[in-house]
Amino acid sequence: MFQLSNASFSHGSLSVLHDITLDIVEGEKVALVGPSGAGKSSLLSLLWQQNPEQVALCPQESGLVNILSVYQNIYMGGLSRFSTLYNVLNLIRPWASRKRDIAAICQQLGLSDKLFVSPDKLSGGQRQRVALGRALYRQQPIFMGDEPVSSLDPEQGDSLLSEVLARHSTAIVAIHSPELAIKHFDRVIALQQGRVIGDWPTADISVATLEDVYRDA
Amino acid sequence: MKFRSVVAMVVALVASSMMSTAALAETFTFTAIPDADESRLNARFGKVADYLSEQLGVDVKYIPVKSYPAAITAFRNDQVQLAWFGGLSGVQARELVEGSEAIAQGYEDQFFKTYIIAHSSTGIEAADALQDSVKGKTFTFGSKGSTSGRLMPEFFIREHFEAAPDEIFSRVGFSGDHSRTIAQVQSGVFDLGAVNYSVWDTELKEGKIDTDKVKVIWTTPTYPDYQWTIRGDVDARYGEGFKQKVTDALLNMKDEDLLASFPRASFVPASNDDYAPIEATGKAIGLLD
Amino acid sequence: MRDTHSTGAGLRTLSLWFALVAIIALFFADIFLYQPDPWIELSRIGTGMVTPYWPDISELAISALHTISFALLGVAVSACLGVLLAMWFHWRAVRVFSAVIRSVHEIFWGLLFMQVFGLSALTGLLAIIIPFSGIFAKVFADIFHQQPATAVNTMGQADRLSRFIYGWIPQAWPALSSYVRYRFECALRSSAILGFIGLPTLGFHLETAFRQGDYSEAAAVFWVFLLIIGTVRFWLYKRFLPFYVLAAIFLLPEMPPVNASFIWQFFTQDLWPVPLQQGDLSGTLSWYGRVVSDEVIPALIQTIAITQAALVLSGVLALMWYPFASRWLVGRFSLIGRFKLLVLRSVPELMLAYLFMLLFGPSALPAIFALALHNGGLIAFLLANHSEDAADTQRIDSASGVVRYFYQDLPQRYPAFLALLFYRWEVIMRESAIMGVLGIATLGFFIDSAFEEIRFDKAFFLILVAAMLNVVVDSVSRRVRRAAGLTTPRM
Repeated sequence: MFQLSNASFSHGSLSVLHDITLDIVEGEKVALVGPSGAGKSSLLSLLWQQNPEQVALCPQESGLVNILSVYQNIYMGGLSRFSTLYNVLNLIRPWASRKRDIAAICQQLGLSDKLFVSPDKLSGGQRQRVALGRALYRQQPIFMGDEPVSSLDPEQGDSLLSEVLARHSTAIVAIHSPELAIKHFDRVIALQQGRVIGDWPTADISVATLEDVYRDA
Repeated sequence: MKFRSVVAMVVALVASSMMSTAALAETFTFTAIPDADESRLNARFGKVADYLSEQLGVDVKYIPVKSYPAAITAFRNDQVQLAWFGGLSGVQARELVEGSEAIAQGYEDQFFKTYIIAHSSTGIEAADALQDSVKGKTFTFGSKGSTSGRLMPEFFIREHFEAAPDEIFSRVGFSGDHSRTIAQVQSGVFDLGAVNYSVWDTELKEGKIDTDKVKVIWTTPTYPDYQWTIRGDVDARYGEGFKQKVTDALLNMKDEDLLASFPRASFVPASNDDYAPIEATGKAIGLLD
Repeated sequence: MRDTHSTGAGLRTLSLWFALVAIIALFFADIFLYQPDPWIELSRIGTGMVTPYWPDISELAISALHTISFALLGVAVSACLGVLLAMWFHWRAVRVFSAVIRSVHEIFWGLLFMQVFGLSALTGLLAIIIPFSGIFAKVFADIFHQQPATAVNTMGQADRLSRFIYGWIPQAWPALSSYVRYRFECALRSSAILGFIGLPTLGFHLETAFRQGDYSEAAAVFWVFLLIIGTVRFWLYKRFLPFYVLAAIFLLPEMPPVNASFIWQFFTQDLWPVPLQQGDLSGTLSWYGRVVSDEVIPALIQTIAITQAALVLSGVLALMWYPFASRWLVGRFSLIGRFKLLVLRSVPELMLAYLFMLLFGPSALPAIFALALHNGGLIAFLLANHSEDAADTQRIDSASGVVRYFYQDLPQRYPAFLALLFYRWEVIMRESAIMGVLGIATLGFFIDSAFEEIRFDKAFFLILVAAMLNVVVDSVSRRVRRAAGLTTPRM
């Protein structure tokens, strides 16, 4: 499904990824781990480019539009499913059926009372949930997230992550917490300084292995 | 950096203003706004300055101005000592500068007149008097301070209808310029307009006017217009008899190239009294106190 | 006014209120639609634009240099004064003073100073420096206000000047210098427009040629002006600035002598009505009463009505145009959009108004369109810059096309858009006052008439009225921006 062989990537003159060879097949749930600056975000965007149409993306810069309501921000995940006219009219007055869909998503996210609040009035954790909501409303088989639950409290992060993973057949998620990586994913890829330093089935490793990855950096 | 530049600038400003004050002290300066064709004023009136300089034996400089009020201001502030004014602006200027005099006018200015022009869509035909059909139309004067574009036509219109222009017409505009009055009436922006006859005749000759679209519907009676006005203190500053020398130089200007700048056939003698009717009219209309 | 739940809904309500006011204003504005027959004139203008011609290149070059000199010196001096004023902007007196000096249009300052200093460099410089200092003061104060106070708080009880020199100014430097750069473009326009009243800048030739229908010559001047404005960033280098300023001083036109007694007479006599000078109280009251009832009240109604209508139309046009000038939204077609905006913001409003008068006849309509096109073009230009600058931070999976504009860029730009529009409010008010030359009875019409009639007492009084109106608008704009939570956008 996603393949990279000897891929490199640089940001301006700064080289970010070196010599990456990867193969991710359908149905896999992959966690990307590594210290910040290791190249996780760049790797995600490289992978995203291979199949942008089928991916529900939840990047670190959440891309929330501050003055639009939570409803519209989540609706943005579905823009490509509807016609331009339908989208523009929705901006003026939300369609009743879409409102139902999105209210349901908000309920799951614990944002039921915030449907028509704008994100600039929300806390960091709430904003992150809106960004997750947008990815859910993409309704695509593949989920790619970049620290999608980092601002949530551990319990809530844990349950939302399982919810998100349950709804997508394939997932690639950069994640900071070794516990979450081991608990929710089938495979863990560790990055350091732009190189893959480990690629294990979750069954083969422990939390301690991953903690080493962070410590070595 | 900023601070030093500021100091340098202040010093330079003061120095340059002092230098130019010294340099200008003996220069005789004049200004002129022709009633038609204001292009390349410096080049055209530079030649007039050269002519005057030769005749008067002093440095003569021309400075271009944009409007009658600017010319009046320059005259009052003694930045020019001689100016080619319109009828009304001459009266205004002489009121502000004691002892100043009208010394010469254009040959044509003895019997100047204004055309009232109309767009063809109004259906108004030429006649000996203004017709009642002009009422309710839109109307544009030229510049607000112009004698031929504002003062005299307004006077004759008031006299005829015994009402102010904005009571007679549905809208009264000021195009700012004779050429533009013609352009605006020709384009139907205004139904009617008041225009200096010599500008109309010139543009008609040059083929700039489409007579299917715009034509003259009435000609005002004649009145005195443009004149040369000189400050009263020039004899004291440039030598006894200087005013007379300037007057003679103007009256003797025969070079058609120079005269074409104004444009006038020749200059003839004039006096302040020649403009008494203009003054009276200005007061009647409320443009002068 | 501010919606506690959704910022967007709050801003939408605010926008709709302004639109409503604008629609009501249309009923008060002197609007009438005529059907002129402009095609001969328009085709002459069109032909002129593509066949620029100027017989004497050195004449044009000199006025171009004068234009740049006035602008450069004007901005250099007024930026320094603006910083000084901004330091004490917490004093009401300074705020009011700044509001008053910027509330008078450059042309009116020019006309006033011309009575004293004649057609000299000083007149031109003061006409730019005075209003620009007031504008700088306001914007700089806003910029300082938005800086985090952490650095300055570490300085303890340092005096105000030190806190600015070591804290606020260095901290705000990028914002300050980017605003000065933007203002330089405005100064070039102001400098050119001062030519309309006789200063030896490009406007002098532009106005004459345009007024006389020499459209090829007008076009030559206009294209030169456009070239100067369009290429500022290629020749205005910071490190050469001292050199430029020095050169500008030497390039200024020479100063005619100034007679001190006229200055004295002007300020003590010319500006005041005769009955006031004679101590005749009832005469003074009746003089002011007459001016107020005959001129001030009708003029205020027109000025406000035109301003409100033009304000909203500027906003609508800006939102319609800016996407076409943003590379992020339309790709390389943005070059065409940028050129269009360059033309729109460079053409002096009075000329736009004249073009619209040819199309729609003489009424407030051409004035509204001209103000809206010019200011809309300017705001669109700034928004397009914001849009391009934000492109790097947009999500990689951003939508494309129309949806990208409506769901992402427009809502992201909207707060800055409203802030820019409210900043522009007083500018539009100032400019609507000078639309009087079209024969629409705004304040500018009566001020212009008073100057023409050499009635400086009346002109001065009307200018004061215009200034007060501007001060009011400025304070309303400030309150609205604060209530809506809008901050000073980058310009």
